[in-house]
Amino acid sequence: MKLDPRTKLFLAVAANSVILSAPFAYSVLMVALPAVLLLFERKWKLVFSFFLTYSVAGLGFEYLKGMDLGMAGTLVVATAMLAYRMMPVCVVLYYIMVSTRANEFMAGMSRMHVPNKATIPLTVMIRFFPTVFDESRAIGNAMKMRGIRLFSLQTLKNPFAILEYRLIPLLVSLTKIGDELSVAASTRGLAPETRRTCVVPVGFHLQDVVVFVYCIAIIALFAYSRVSV
Amino acid sequence: MKITLKNVSFSYTDSIDDAILKDINLQIESGECVVLAGESGSGKTTISKLINGLIPLYQSGTMAGDVLLGDKNTADMTLAEISKYVGSVFQNPRSQFFNVDTDSEIAFGCENLGVEPEEIRRRIDKTVKDFHLESLLGRNIFHLSGGEKQKIACASVNATDPDIFVLDEPSANLDLKTVDDLAEIIKLWKSRGKTVVVVEHRLHYLRDVADRIVYVKDGRIECEWTPAELEAKGPEYAASLGLRSIKLVQLGGARATASESQGESITFRNLKFSYQKKFPILDIPELSLPKGKITALLGHNGAGKSTLAQLVCGLRGSWSQKRAARKLGTYLIMQDVNHQLFTESVLDEVLLGMHPKDETAAFEILESLNLKNYAEKHPMALSGGQKQRVAIASGVSSNRNLIVFDEPTSGLDYRQMLAVSATLKALANRGKTLFVITHDPELVLNCCRHVIRMDHGRIVEEYSL
Repeated sequence: MKLDPRTKLFLAVAANSVILSAPFAYSVLMVALPAVLLLFERKWKLVFSFFLTYSVAGLGFEYLKGMDLGMAGTLVVATAMLAYRMMPVCVVLYYIMVSTRANEFMAGMSRMHVPNKATIPLTVMIRFFPTVFDESRAIGNAMKMRGIRLFSLQTLKNPFAILEYRLIPLLVSLTKIGDELSVAASTRGLAPETRRTCVVPVGFHLQDVVVFVYCIAIIALFAYSRVSV
Repeated sequence: MKITLKNVSFSYTDSIDDAILKDINLQIESGECVVLAGESGSGKTTISKLINGLIPLYQSGTMAGDVLLGDKNTADMTLAEISKYVGSVFQNPRSQFFNVDTDSEIAFGCENLGVEPEEIRRRIDKTVKDFHLESLLGRNIFHLSGGEKQKIACASVNATDPDIFVLDEPSANLDLKTVDDLAEIIKLWKSRGKTVVVVEHRLHYLRDVADRIVYVKDGRIECEWTPAELEAKGPEYAASLGLRSIKLVQLGGARATASESQGESITFRNLKFSYQKKFPILDIPELSLPKGKITALLGHNGAGKSTLAQLVCGLRGSWSQKRAARKLGTYLIMQDVNHQLFTESVLDEVLLGMHPKDETAAFEILESLNLKNYAEKHPMALSGGQKQRVAIASGVSSNRNLIVFDEPTSGLDYRQMLAVSATLKALANRGKTLFVITHDPELVLNCCRHVIRMDHGRIVEEYSL
């Protein structure tokens, strides 16, 4: 199932505002939507593990939040809250990242009359995430080879060293890749002043309407509950 | 379309005095295939950047002279305009893709030019048919091999149908089979009357395609040959200029039966690996590497060489395999050495894996690898070859016995290849056992005593040279 990139942007804004401000029940309703959409992208495992962690964290937090649990307990509750507030946001963004092609995104933005000067850097960012993970994995391997482990006596003594070991090579190689990427893109005619076409048709369909209506309904319900109280 | 360079000089700095190109005059006729050859740092890549407009439109510096595409001066055009006439393919397949899926990538250039979607689809279909890419459609770019990525890069450029193709070391990461595919693609372009400019160290695959080989040295065009002329001058002549051989070096040797029994060897048993039980990626009952010698591992992209290296080094595989690797002491020098340098100075890099830390021993290792003068430098400030030697030094200092190299000479010119070869020999003389994954027959001839060839996850051939 394909959504218009503009619908996805709306979904991101709507979901984030509901999840970060409304009570548990509303955010469950809200987060169900990107989870279902991820199922359409065949990410079964991810959705399942998300569902599990989210329900445990959410229910745990709701159950424990009023109690006096001491230092350790508070830490657990705080972690649970962080997980259940932040995870849905990540899920929405992840859905957008895996389901949107660069050209669709650019076409959607230009339909909204966003200038290319703003769109191109945003698109590069989307393209950059998988590269960061790829590079990071290779560096992790190199560290293993050198015998630098995440948990060892040495790293406990100097925890910042591990950050440095990981970040310096990552930054160096990402800077280089970023430069090469923009060189490649500009030799292939990507420029702010040109008008692009898009080989994938972009437009609103029934599924977009459903997403809009669903999101607006939840927001309206939440707003109504606030006013009536 | 004709390319003309008229009295071109260029410097990456503000002053024309330290120019990397000096007074270049070059005319490339429509439909010609010209190879720019020369040592690293000779300025040949800079010439290619002049043709695709990156100089002066992207890279800053000081330029004199004119570059004409047809009768238009590149200085008066924009990069977007130039991209209609010139298509570029770069060396690093990892960083020239803007999309994550192959279909969008092939369409990308056309979309930028504002071609109608119907027409784009027609062009994609034709390109896919011409390049035999059916099996690569709809794939994630991050899951392709280096050779497959380079084919997609060529296809994407082809779809925009430019008159000129500029390729900057396109074969650096490719095996011999994929290099042949690349030669076929260039032939196809030539048969359609396109102008092709290739910057390249490896010359053998261009022998039948190239019309001229232009030799660049210290920012000037020194001389020109046809491939036949260069071949007639013999391999020693090419080597003296720092060029790779134009004839594909053939490897062959006696079956290693007698030599195997001589001397000790490091033996691995039962090297198996698979992502899914039914499809083994690697299945090697026994691998033995002669101690203190250099063994080469050959095979096509995707034959399982890198997986074997990772198994041997304990980066993959079962617990017991990983423990065995640690006990033996194995070390992998990665293809991209940038990934394995972590600290702030070369000396720290060597000391990092040393227990106990011993500065005199560290200096001794640095000295043996010609790095003593760089001990206080930041590893990232060094050249590619120096970085590689720092990585090797850190492997030596952590007292590993088996050092595995992943493509140590990809993208290197003849002289640099010889330097790497000398380093390898020096390591073997110190008693280290070396295992070198490579596509480079010249390197193998230069320093390797044993050769193992892999295919489909199995060892298919073993011989001594």
